[in-house]
Amino acid sequence: MTPVVALRLALAGNRTDTVRVVLTALSAALAALAALAALTVLAVPTPPGGRGVNNAEQYSNALLREPGLRGGTAVALLLLAVPVLALAGQCVRLGAPARDRRLAAFRLAGATPGQVAALVAVEAGLAGLLGTLVGLGTYLAGRVLLHRPDGRGLLPLPTDVLPSPSAIAAVVLGLPVLAGLAGVVLLRRVTATPLGVVRRVRRERPPGPWAGLLIAAGVAAYGLLVPVGRWYAARDQDPPAVLEPLLMLGGGLAALVGVVVGTGWLSHTAGRLLHRWGRGPATLLAARRLTADPWAGSRTLAALLAAVIVGAGAAGLRASMLADMTANRAIGQSFAASDDFYLNTMDLVDRAVQVAVALAAGGLVVALVEGIVARRRTYAALVASGVPRSVIGRSVAWQALAPAVPATVLALAVGLLLTWTTGGRPRSYGGQTAQVCPGDAAGCADPSALRTVWVPESVVTPELPWGQLAGVGATALAAVLVTVGVGLLFLRTSTAVEELRTG
Amino acid sequence: MSGLQAHGVVRSYGPTPALRGVSLDVAEGEIVAVTGPSGCGKSTLLHCLAGILRPDVGEVHWRGERIDTWPEAARSRLRRTEFGVLFQFGQLVPELTAAENVALPLLLAGTGRRGAGRAAREWLDRLGVAHLADVRPGAMSGGQQQRCATARALVTGPRVLFADEPTGALDTLGGEEVLTRLVHLAREQGTTIVLVTHEPRIAAYADREVMLRDGVVDPTGLGLDEPLVPVAGPGAVAR
Repeated sequence: MTPVVALRLALAGNRTDTVRVVLTALSAALAALAALAALTVLAVPTPPGGRGVNNAEQYSNALLREPGLRGGTAVALLLLAVPVLALAGQCVRLGAPARDRRLAAFRLAGATPGQVAALVAVEAGLAGLLGTLVGLGTYLAGRVLLHRPDGRGLLPLPTDVLPSPSAIAAVVLGLPVLAGLAGVVLLRRVTATPLGVVRRVRRERPPGPWAGLLIAAGVAAYGLLVPVGRWYAARDQDPPAVLEPLLMLGGGLAALVGVVVGTGWLSHTAGRLLHRWGRGPATLLAARRLTADPWAGSRTLAALLAAVIVGAGAAGLRASMLADMTANRAIGQSFAASDDFYLNTMDLVDRAVQVAVALAAGGLVVALVEGIVARRRTYAALVASGVPRSVIGRSVAWQALAPAVPATVLALAVGLLLTWTTGGRPRSYGGQTAQVCPGDAAGCADPSALRTVWVPESVVTPELPWGQLAGVGATALAAVLVTVGVGLLFLRTSTAVEELRTG
Repeated sequence: MSGLQAHGVVRSYGPTPALRGVSLDVAEGEIVAVTGPSGCGKSTLLHCLAGILRPDVGEVHWRGERIDTWPEAARSRLRRTEFGVLFQFGQLVPELTAAENVALPLLLAGTGRRGAGRAAREWLDRLGVAHLADVRPGAMSGGQQQRCATARALVTGPRVLFADEPTGALDTLGGEEVLTRLVHLAREQGTTIVLVTHEPRIAAYADREVMLRDGVVDPTGLGLDEPLVPVAGPGAVAR
């Protein structure tokens, strides 16, 4: 098969295939933008000199100015690519039945299994390349459009630097290669025969609650941060450089995987409870669907749950910071050069979580619509035999919400626990003298204005951020509800009688 | 008086006409086979009669009441209570067991879960698939699935059963078995059957055959262009 033939066959498809390619390209464009933004932040040069004198003073934003903060900013930008990749994962599944028929037709025409896999890789790779090129174009255009120095000549964004050409090439070409490989990996359990596509479906065992162990391990890893630091401090040593990032990344990953896997168990359990206690056909349909494929919830909710964990963790971190600030102010110190800087940074994190929730909701919509379209013949037969569409609609809503509600609560709890293990402890302060001055900072500049006072020992306990947690949870569940609403718009067309025509 | 009547039913899909003025009377308890070549409008006629589709022109009556003007919800209720429908494939919900699939229409009608389950198992037993009550459709043969679907179509005791190529996906033996049981149970209950098929062997189970051709009822019943004219001796025909 020549490359031209592979290209022609890979691009042969119906409207659903086109939608899949467009959505995959869009996901790749967003992922490329996130990656290029992160690389740009890392490309900001650090002036020579030690801490305090090596700031990149051309930027108005401290996240870009301070070398110590740029790594975290880049990681945060890269993390935004996670829900984007989850969205891409859902898009690849779009229109699977039609694509299966096309692959079978290729086999019937003489294509080998390897050639069929190559066609899938070419389709995904080309869609990815199209997306990364669009992403690169948007990035380059954005650099020009957003290069707006303020009155002091400071830049709000790093629009004066470019990542190295090799780094740009790695993103623009690497992501499509990854997309192609992912397409082939997703086909590993699929055999395209000339007479149809056969999926080797393993009879899945109901998921056990062992995901709880992963969550416990993740929380424990965070819980170790303070004791490990103290252990080294007691020996007048610094902990190994990789230890803290390892505990944080490993712990966070274990907790995330635990929550996602745990959602499978939650789906299965919710299905069993619905079957046991639910009344009416809508709950029966939903219950059986949840128990038949409990992992569907994990797959579709993974990105949303990741965003909820980060959002809940950020809420815990903010509460911890506020407690530190209260304690420090009481003894006449500021938490840092400016308390507002940290709170503004947390605001940015919250906004990133909202963006991640929106992207995850996009993935949910694709998954929900795909699920409805794939079952259109069954739904059409039910409607034709008198089942009201509202019953099917309610069953779809139950399927989405029954795992989403407990999984969101679990993700909130885990996200909070991760930061609360270290940040939730009470802070004691005082029991010492402190120099205070009345009035503002200018007044404090006069040494004669300073007074020494005794600050009695006291304790500040961080307040659980119930309000912010409720906000994150409500945003996530609202996203699920909106996706259900959008999905139901497709129910009418998917239950049309044309789906039943036999001649 | 006829139980089910269609008067001058016209129905198109966009610019393509499927039915071009079909009139039909089906008496209660009668088994009528609608036959004809592919694309002649058989399924469309069945869907119009069952209230799944509304005709563009013409009327459909059930027991003297015009039903094609009823709103969707009322027609759905009619299909749940007095009509039953049976398709070639894709009708069983894959995640539900056979018993749950059969119980579904009863649950929709408000029957309690226990009562619906009991009735479902009785019907599965009558169709000879009681042993599959707790099995999901994916683990059944095509014939077994169709027998479960037949049980589901009959469990509410419908007055009319609409069957669209009910044996189309089955082998000869499986098809015969499903149809024999279907006709037997329908006769036992006095259920009217409107059966769409393109197989003469299946149509032979019916009391009467109505042939469609290009969207109209073929008056010859044989798919010929002109009516038959008797010539020569008894039994001989010529065009």
